[in-house]
Amino acid sequence: MSISSILTILMYALEPFAWLIVAGVVILVAVHLLAYMRGYQITQYRCLLATGVAGLIGLSAFFWAPWLTNSEFTYINTVFDWVAAIGSIIGAFVVAFLLLHPLSYLVRGQDA
Amino acid sequence: MKKSPFTLSRRQLLKAGAGLSASGLLYTSALQANTIDTQARIVVVGGGASGMAMANRLATRLRGGTITLIEPRDTHHYQPGWTLVASGVWHPEKTMRPNADFIPQGINWVRQYAAGIDAENRRVDLANGESLEYDYLVVATGLQLNYNLIDGMSPDLVGQHGIGSVYASVEGAARTRQAIKGWIDSGEGKGIFTSAPTAVKCAGAPLKMTFTTLTHLEESGRRDAFDVDFMSPTGGLFSQPWVNDFVKQRFDEQGVNRRHHYRLSAIDPQAKQAEFTFEGEPGSLVVPDDLRSGATNAQGKSTIIADYDFIHVVPPMSAPDFVKQSDLIAKDGPHQGEWLDVDIHTLQHNRYPEVFGIGDVIGAPINKTAASVKAQAPVVEANLLAAIQGKSLTARHDGYTSCPMITGIGKAMLVEFGYDDNYAFMPSFPFIDPKEESWAVWVMKDYMLQPAYYAVLEGQA
Repeated sequence: MSISSILTILMYALEPFAWLIVAGVVILVAVHLLAYMRGYQITQYRCLLATGVAGLIGLSAFFWAPWLTNSEFTYINTVFDWVAAIGSIIGAFVVAFLLLHPLSYLVRGQDA
Repeated sequence: MKKSPFTLSRRQLLKAGAGLSASGLLYTSALQANTIDTQARIVVVGGGASGMAMANRLATRLRGGTITLIEPRDTHHYQPGWTLVASGVWHPEKTMRPNADFIPQGINWVRQYAAGIDAENRRVDLANGESLEYDYLVVATGLQLNYNLIDGMSPDLVGQHGIGSVYASVEGAARTRQAIKGWIDSGEGKGIFTSAPTAVKCAGAPLKMTFTTLTHLEESGRRDAFDVDFMSPTGGLFSQPWVNDFVKQRFDEQGVNRRHHYRLSAIDPQAKQAEFTFEGEPGSLVVPDDLRSGATNAQGKSTIIADYDFIHVVPPMSAPDFVKQSDLIAKDGPHQGEWLDVDIHTLQHNRYPEVFGIGDVIGAPINKTAASVKAQAPVVEANLLAAIQGKSLTARHDGYTSCPMITGIGKAMLVEFGYDDNYAFMPSFPFIDPKEESWAVWVMKDYMLQPAYYAVLEGQA
């Protein structure tokens, strides 16, 4: 399969979620910009609460990812399923962390 | 419906991708594909999955000549999604897109029904009385649903009197969902799922409808109040042997009464009764306790009568009448009088070398799926171009077909197989076992196969 084929499939797959992706990126970029303007640096700032909550959100994806796909947790069965489930956990954690970490700085980080 | 201001159109997204390609970051097969010069007049009959894929592929590969696509409808239906509509997972709108989204530039789109094919004179007759002459013809008409071969049945009945049929149309699929819901909401009763005595498109659909309905029945908390029968006109349920055995076993485990060698021959919607003709060995019929003996029919075969609260009807299928009436139809063999007469490997017509067939219309032992079109389109493209150039046909179709066998709402098996070795599995992904039910395969069916299908229409996959 050529790259153009893969791109075409990806475009069709993402099309229904384009508004969600754009909205999510806008929010993420806005929060990061705002936080950076106030001195936030992702590698310098530590917030156990934000990291912990992001971790919990990530772990919870194990349960809601199947639900979100019209399925259920008990149908996670094959090795491929488990890899996909772990991938959704990691993905949810990364997104939650990228959002909550600068947010926590904006809320309390400057004093921390 | 109000469009979100954040919505990017597919074309905008594709333009972004194309821009990346143009900047040299990406490789595209289209740029590499060799075009050939021709003055040939090529007619593609039918703008479904196979016809649209061929129109796009030929438009990319041919320079000069004329390509004409005969397709009367403005809307393209993603038919593999209809089982999800009938199961209540998808809204019907999700399966529809304008045909104009997929029609390539530079071809003639004739918005008429084809009415006949004169193979001797290389001419296609249209419903408006006009005709088109061709040098090469691609028959991609799809198939015809013969509800009329079931006495008392009509697609208009779908959604009424407890009758469902996922095949009828997308509206029929939605009405089938309502019929199933009405039956389950009634709290009890008997559901009958049928299968056809002919080759059918998406041969897994009758099984999928049974499995998804079982999910709804189990979720109702009153599974024991419902009887579920599956009536098959043959001894089997599915062409792939391992899957056939698996489904039989799963039906048994889930309390489905499997009854073999019963063909749905008539239906009385008002009385909610179905007549089945016994197709087994004469004299071997033992009428089950919950069914009644019917009259012996005109062919001397025994019939039985079954009461139902819901019935899922799968009609007999064939090539469209205008193809059956043409000289292109099979003259002998297992597809005689019913399907297009092609070499199942080269997809070239067996008697008219300038004619190729693709998709549901061809006479082949398996292969009436969109996945088959994905595998067949490059073969027809290569062999048609070879024919135009006077070269021998070297591309061969291996019979690849695929059925994401939904075994319940939320899980599925990716069943891929081909002609050889008694329909041996042909898995596309080494990490997906065709014998295992999987959440990830369900997600593929729910989210990824439709995009892949549209890529096939565009000639991209």
